[in-house]
Amino acid sequence: MKNRLKVLRAEHDWTQADLAAQLNVTRQTVNAIEKGKYDPSLPLAFKIAGVFQMPIDHIFFPKDGA
Amino acid sequence: MNRITSSNHLNSGLKNTAKGLFIFTSIWVASVALLTFGPKVWWEYHALTTLLVIALNLLTGAMMLFAFFRHLKSMDELQRQTHLEAMALTLGITMIFTVVYGSLPTAQLLADTHPTNILFVMGITYMLAVMRIWISRTSE
Repeated sequence: MKNRLKVLRAEHDWTQADLAAQLNVTRQTVNAIEKGKYDPSLPLAFKIAGVFQMPIDHIFFPKDGA
Repeated sequence: MNRITSSNHLNSGLKNTAKGLFIFTSIWVASVALLTFGPKVWWEYHALTTLLVIALNLLTGAMMLFAFFRHLKSMDELQRQTHLEAMALTLGITMIFTVVYGSLPTAQLLADTHPTNILFVMGITYMLAVMRIWISRTSE
């Protein structure tokens, strides 16, 4: 799964640690999601969508773009 | 300010459960020592005392297990997945090692086997697996 987390985070001028604190996860988890090394669970994906106040499919999308 | 509090919440939760796990593991290790040396050194193989110590050992073992699950639940999801994958790898490697190790006396390559050696393999495999999986997921 691909995501726009890094871009959205930059738009809000947040560090990985800032976002991690809002999501109650470690900074390493945010880093792993941004780099596509880890796909978040559905609850965490919804939490991320909530933080950025946008639909989940505007942040996460399949790798093949389908 | 709210964000910092949230981050501290995760860290303090982890610290608390890690402390609990350390305490209960220490108690369990002490009860193992009591069971190992007690019958010979302290109560001269008195059967009822040994049975009571076995019950104590099982109880402290169960408490350690609960402390471990509490610690696992207090982790964030990437940490938890890392540990679960490491446990799966440890289970597989331990199973393979146990079969080979158990066959060594039959093949006359070893005089006898000690079940505690399997614990060392489990512990080392688990530790290395956690480190390897965590680094592969979180390297910058």
